[in-house]
Amino acid sequence: MGLQDDVARVLIPEDELQARVAELGRAINEIYTDGDRPLLVCVLKGAFIFLADLTRHLEVRHEVDFMEVSSYGAGTESTGVVRILLDLEQSIEGRHVLIVEDFVDSGRTLAYMARNLQTRGPASLRICALLSKPSRREVDVELDWVGFEVPNEFVVGYGLDYAEEYRNLPFIGVLKEEIYTKSG
Amino acid sequence: MRRGAVAVMRCGRRKVAHRKIPAEIERVFLDEETIAAQVRRLAARISEDYAEIDDVVLVGVLKGAFIFLSDLARDLTIPHAVDFIALSSYNKGVVNTGAVRFIMDTRGSVTGRNVLVVEDILDTGYTLDYLLRAFQARNPASLRTCVFISKPDRHQVEVPIDYLGFETPDEWLVGYGLDYADRFRTLPYIGILKREVYE
Repeated sequence: MGLQDDVARVLIPEDELQARVAELGRAINEIYTDGDRPLLVCVLKGAFIFLADLTRHLEVRHEVDFMEVSSYGAGTESTGVVRILLDLEQSIEGRHVLIVEDFVDSGRTLAYMARNLQTRGPASLRICALLSKPSRREVDVELDWVGFEVPNEFVVGYGLDYAEEYRNLPFIGVLKEEIYTKSG
Repeated sequence: MRRGAVAVMRCGRRKVAHRKIPAEIERVFLDEETIAAQVRRLAARISEDYAEIDDVVLVGVLKGAFIFLSDLARDLTIPHAVDFIALSSYNKGVVNTGAVRFIMDTRGSVTGRNVLVVEDILDTGYTLDYLLRAFQARNPASLRTCVFISKPDRHQVEVPIDYLGFETPDEWLVGYGLDYADRFRTLPYIGILKREVYE
């Protein structure tokens, strides 16, 4: 269909993506115990597909919660500080928290989110990111698990969008340049 | 960096090898393959119905709908946007009067767009009924519902369901987004919770 025609090439095919998500799930199972009951924190919107698939591979008892944030706009982006539109339903004091992130670019927002959650006194705080673009990193963020490192290209699919489309592609693809240059 | 080690195994989406079933689960009610097949059927119908329609937005109701939504969206062949809302009922724990509170509204406007509300479960129907009325007041181009599990015995208000996964008896179901006090939500199948757990 039309969506796939806008993709210049497949960067990570579905099979490879699913195999890696399964590996990440197994690695997470080894770190936590049922008694830890880790809380997986998903920052919307992008990470919801990764979260859904990752949890299928978790044997360890866990719960999920969601946050949604938005930028304050021009001039504030370099700080990473964002406005929380949806906060966690649960208190995380004394809980083992695992941030589930789809994509780490500059790392600024994620670093801020980690600082924000750290102030709430979790028992532990770890980060699992599906994709990381190291060439774009501006702040240090320690990622406990990374699915794939990707080159500096415009990637879409598996939760990642361009203008709210392409999120539902089951693979990670590189968007054709003409798509994101024509509309500015 | 870890890409080299990856392609050794093939793992289709939604296929998970041997997971132990928690002791609190009476039995598996809908297994992964049954669920996946029904999601594909729903997605095929939706893709067909919306084939000629632009500006479609799927609105997932948190928390429960995220798993169903993630599978449904990937099976759709039509372009669409995804958005989320979080709602809460007043009088939590006591008799549900149907009053609902928006915790988080959609990021995008729904006015003039073709909205498909995606819900994991239709129980009393109060929440979805309220949501549909709230959305209708915003004048969408169209407004439909896609519900994975419906429990007709529990319905208190009539809510139109355009796309339905399964009708189920009045048992406490968990998994595939459905929870018991936030537990068991991410089981890849839908199981029946033992009565002794919640009674």
